[in-house]
Amino acid sequence: MPFVRREIATTPVVSKAPDRSLETHLAGLSSTDSEARWSAARALGGRADAVAALAEALATEQVPRVREAIMTAVMRVGNEASVLALLPYLRSQDAGLRATAIEALQALPDAIAPFMPKLLADNDADVRLLAAELVRNMPAKDATRILCDLLQNEQAANVCAAAIDVLAEVGTRDAVPVLQACAARFRDTPFLPFAISTTIARISNTEG
Amino acid sequence: MTTVESNRDAGRARVLIVDDSSLVRLYYRETLEGAGFEVEQAINGIEAMEKVLAEPFDLIVVDVNMPRMDGLSFIRALRSSPSPVAAVPTLVITTEASSQDREDARAAGANFYLVKPVSDADLRRHVACLTGTSR
Amino acid sequence: MAPPEVQRTRAIHVTQEDVRRLCEFLYRRTGMSFDDNKRYYIDRRLAERITATASNSFQSYFATLRSDAEHEIEHLVNAFTVNETYFYREDHQLRCMVSNLLDDILRRKTTGESIRIWSIPCSTGEEPYSIAMWLMENWSEVDKYNIEIVGSDIDTRALKAAADGVYGTRALMRLPRHVIERYFGRIDGNQVRIDPGLRDSVQFTRVNLIDARDMALYRDFDIVFCRNVLIYFDDASRRIAAENLYDCLRPGGYICLGHSETMSRISTLFRVCRFPDAIVYQRPEADHDDS
Repeated sequence: MPFVRREIATTPVVSKAPDRSLETHLAGLSSTDSEARWSAARALGGRADAVAALAEALATEQVPRVREAIMTAVMRVGNEASVLALLPYLRSQDAGLRATAIEALQALPDAIAPFMPKLLADNDADVRLLAAELVRNMPAKDATRILCDLLQNEQAANVCAAAIDVLAEVGTRDAVPVLQACAARFRDTPFLPFAISTTIARISNTEG
Repeated sequence: MTTVESNRDAGRARVLIVDDSSLVRLYYRETLEGAGFEVEQAINGIEAMEKVLAEPFDLIVVDVNMPRMDGLSFIRALRSSPSPVAAVPTLVITTEASSQDREDARAAGANFYLVKPVSDADLRRHVACLTGTSR
Repeated sequence: MAPPEVQRTRAIHVTQEDVRRLCEFLYRRTGMSFDDNKRYYIDRRLAERITATASNSFQSYFATLRSDAEHEIEHLVNAFTVNETYFYREDHQLRCMVSNLLDDILRRKTTGESIRIWSIPCSTGEEPYSIAMWLMENWSEVDKYNIEIVGSDIDTRALKAAADGVYGTRALMRLPRHVIERYFGRIDGNQVRIDPGLRDSVQFTRVNLIDARDMALYRDFDIVFCRNVLIYFDDASRRIAAENLYDCLRPGGYICLGHSETMSRISTLFRVCRFPDAIVYQRPEADHDDS
């Protein structure tokens, strides 16, 4: 048979060597070689003491997969500092950066919860729209309350649409009155009446 | 374009809807199926690429803001795929309304650009026009 | 948990809207979609899971599902799929390997370099042995190259079973008779043992996909079969595993996921590749990275 075996050590030899120091990995973050930056970002994953350096590296990183690795590393820490490091990218002009940041933040529903009121009241409708998406992974009761607060006063149709889409998944029937009011407000706007009636049908039987 | 012609010979024009919002996809699907189009869906640019590589489409309707892979990144990847996939027309329908956003989409290779929310009538009209079906 | 009598008499009412909500969630989370003529099938599986989780309403079940408590997403999806493991499962990927992937891989190989194939998770070994048998039975070039096949899993009992190479006859159900005769010896009416030469051809190791240090020992693979595990990981673990697998592949190397899985729910690191027999994913070749 043509098959060969190269015996792979099952006890990782690598782990017997001392861990490369934080400084070594941090230095790797500013290497001119993207592969070194990639490895450094990955090695720093989950290290709270590296978040500041990772955030700084993220600001100048151009290679998409290294950016993602940095965001993963930051996400793995999952604390307030992580959220602060990722939030600015919601405002980025680059759709790709926004997409990666949203994806990382979606994994941190507990860490992001304290930031939600401010995000949902942001002056920039685009930020409010993306913030609504972040509510999706919260428990149903909290998500419903937060999104209802938003919908009470929201004037931007697309922000409402984003909130309604999340409610269709997580909403309870407590949201129905707010949704009905929203439907009245936007009765002449395309798509929203459809979105609202579909969502009301979905959640009407769901208890708060 | 041969893809469009052969699909029309087979009957219905095929449209791929790429949007992370389930309500938007439902709305577009009901509108377009009601108008006689065959509709498939995807939730982000990666799934869109899988669908596009697997089956022929006459038009791709793409949102911009989607997690994991945004619409413009998808269109760029589409344009550097092997033909005939690379040539499939794309209609961007997005919340992004500035002229810079429009220009970014054009630079990525998008063919047409609409700002949300789009009415069902406008959607039908644009899709019919872009797939060369007279309705 | 309520006594069985109470469970039986309590009829949990699930509406069509509830099912739509569930299907939307599953589609978004896993990429699996259910068209209308499969909906009845869902109703039944959903009822099973509601009972199994002792949920007292669809809503409380849905909350369990959304939070993926106790791996409920995996339980629900498993309820929809046939879970038996057998040889030559998802053979379209094996066909793709021989028809398309190997040619492309060989273009980049230097003389004497092995072809390295990894099955992770390999469970009780059906997959790596299937890869070996398929290559011998279907690849005309199989004797021209050194081929390494590694099977890895986190479950040491499964690995031991894989190394033993003893299987029930049901696992043979997709194998042509001549393949069975060639590679299996009968033990008794219900059991067979894999040919020792074949058994010794595959190396079995314990690996945790999410542990970067475990994974650091695995490099330069040409093809990785990573089926039906990534989609069940949580957000963070999916990303970490995808990054680990990226590093384990050679540039231009391929990764094959499970039949209902898609990279669109997992990672942007890999290029989508469409071949006649399968959609697979590729680590970009070396010069496609911007430095």
